[in-house]
Amino acid sequence: MSIKLENISYTYMQGTPFERNALDDVSVTIEKGEFVAIIGHTGSGKSTLVQHLNGLLKPSTGKAFINDVDLDGKGDEVKKAKHSVGMVFQYPEHQIFAETVYEDIAFGPRNKGFSEEEVEKLVKDAMSFVHLDYEEFAQKSPFNLSGGQMRRVAIAGVVAMAPDYLVLDEPSAGLDPMARDVIFEEIINLYKKRDIGVVLVTHSMEEAVRYANRLLVVSDGKIILDDAPKEIFKNHSQKLLDVSMDIPQVFKLAESLRQKGLTLSEDIIDAKSLVAEIKKQRGIK
Amino acid sequence: MEETIIKLDNLTHLYRDNNDKEFPALDSVNLEIKKGEFVAIIGANGSGKSTLARHLNALLKPAKGTCLVAGMDTSDEKNLWNIRQTVGMVFQNPDNQIVAAVVEEDVAFGPENIGVPTEEIRPRVEAALKTVGMLDYAKHAPHLLSGGQKQRVAIAGTIVLEPACIVLDEPTAMLDPKGRKEIVSTISKLNKEKNITVIYITHYMTEALAADRVIVMNKGKIAFDGTPKEVFSHAKELKEFGLEAPLAAEVASELIAAGMKLDKEIITDEELVEALCPSN
Ligand SMILES: Nc1ncnc2c1ncn2[C@@H]1O[C@H](COP(=O)(O)OP(=O)(O)O)[C@@H](O)[C@H]1O
Ligand SMILES: Nc1ncnc2c1ncn2[C@@H]1O[C@H](COP(=O)(O)OP(=O)(O)O)[C@@H](O)[C@H]1O
Ligand SMILES: [Mg+2]
Ligand SMILES: [Mg+2]
Repeated sequence: MSIKLENISYTYMQGTPFERNALDDVSVTIEKGEFVAIIGHTGSGKSTLVQHLNGLLKPSTGKAFINDVDLDGKGDEVKKAKHSVGMVFQYPEHQIFAETVYEDIAFGPRNKGFSEEEVEKLVKDAMSFVHLDYEEFAQKSPFNLSGGQMRRVAIAGVVAMAPDYLVLDEPSAGLDPMARDVIFEEIINLYKKRDIGVVLVTHSMEEAVRYANRLLVVSDGKIILDDAPKEIFKNHSQKLLDVSMDIPQVFKLAESLRQKGLTLSEDIIDAKSLVAEIKKQRGIK
Repeated sequence: MEETIIKLDNLTHLYRDNNDKEFPALDSVNLEIKKGEFVAIIGANGSGKSTLARHLNALLKPAKGTCLVAGMDTSDEKNLWNIRQTVGMVFQNPDNQIVAAVVEEDVAFGPENIGVPTEEIRPRVEAALKTVGMLDYAKHAPHLLSGGQKQRVAIAGTIVLEPACIVLDEPTAMLDPKGRKEIVSTISKLNKEKNITVIYITHYMTEALAADRVIVMNKGKIAFDGTPKEVFSHAKELKEFGLEAPLAAEVASELIAAGMKLDKEIITDEELVEALCPSN
């Protein structure tokens, strides 16, 4: 099971003076069970790229497949394939539309033809998944929620559809550190429990190294690097700076310590692993 | 650094919640900011940061208490014009702040609006663009710029009005790493070279390290107010407020907890490296 993009190019407003090439001959395959992070400068094409993963945008040239179904076709099979990809957009407030949180989350399952009883169960499950208390929130207007809560409603709406793939476009922008951690806990939970594929667009190098097992670096509409996050951050720091990216702070700190003579393993990816290494060095349990 | 530019006395702001009940988004806040200070404000979502920011240029009025900007009361309509000239605002989304089709026209929009004489506008626009490092882009179309560049144009559009104080509400939340660095260095420069008072709201703790003073908001109140060292050495309490300490402070505090003898006030990478591997 996989999502496959073959030689995709995409031009916005083709044939007008505002024509803009956003993707340039991109090919990539994302397997179910992978956790893929995508980083790249603003305007590099990340959002355009991920909107090809569920057929939301139709490539100007090239082909997109979900589980071997060609998205260019019509009919139930194509619809079903597209529905297997859940998308949480960059601005969740654009995704939310119903009068109550319940109605918003129920929309997808209802559309799929579930009975009201089944819908209610799916909504309850999805809300508990994202830690939104059913009694407190089900009947609230989603528009009066905080940014973090709104994003959780958007995620719950996607979770209720039981997708095979979950695509998140900058889900942590504007969230405080704790709200961010809560959302990622939920995503990791879903990833592990249901063995789905996750695609995460982010501006945070920390998130990429902490959560993903594969990292794509996009620049000017092309994928310029594709490897394990640790490998990319270890081997391509200059290239990343050249394309407006960076390496995680902990990689810099560990490197400064190494230059001062501390021998530290190459496997440091966060504060926890750095602390463990320093303790080992100093013989502290 | 003596002159007071911002003074809040028991400032309370009330909003209505979902059940139409009033609640204080700001709860008897007292705060004094001196001219030339660089103050970072951090706090969980919903803690009242944006509400506070909006009081500083009279977009909101106190329900109780007072908000004085350069001695002017924000609840007095007569002061509105002068307050808006004194305090400039920059918001989160760079795309919503740019109005014109050419960068220099966008920056000229404010001065034209307040009736600055035409012959004065051009040199002021040029100076503002130069300050933010965007003079080379004066003739460019804003929509083709990167996020960091757009945000710098928005900052130029604010400083062209020569405010004494600039308030930035999460200006880097939507930017890539390079854009974030550009904004922090632009703002530090404005503060150091032009002595503009900076009030900088952010969720990035490392950005707050650049400030002279850090204010932590929690549930409509000021929970901490001190130098970055004083605030960020409280890793545990920060977590309770939905925040985190910068990496070096977190690592140092865990090493101390594990029994290592380290200075409690380590907050930057340089300090941690020096403490662990002293250079003689
Ligand atoms: N609806 C649109 N119309 C015209 N151009 C667009 C549109 N959406 C995006 N673009 C342009 O396409 C390029 C890629 O945009 P996007 O995929 O949103 O990048 P990213 O998500 O990496 O910031 C940018 O140059 C952007 O300005
Ligand atoms: N226009 C509004 N109407 C009602 N409540 C609001 C409004 N704006 C903000 N709030 C509420 O006020 C509190 C503080 O919000 P805000 O100042 O935006 O916090 P922050 O900027 O720290 O995230 C939150 O509980 C928020 O939900
Ligand atoms: Mg995007
Ligand atoms: Mg805010």
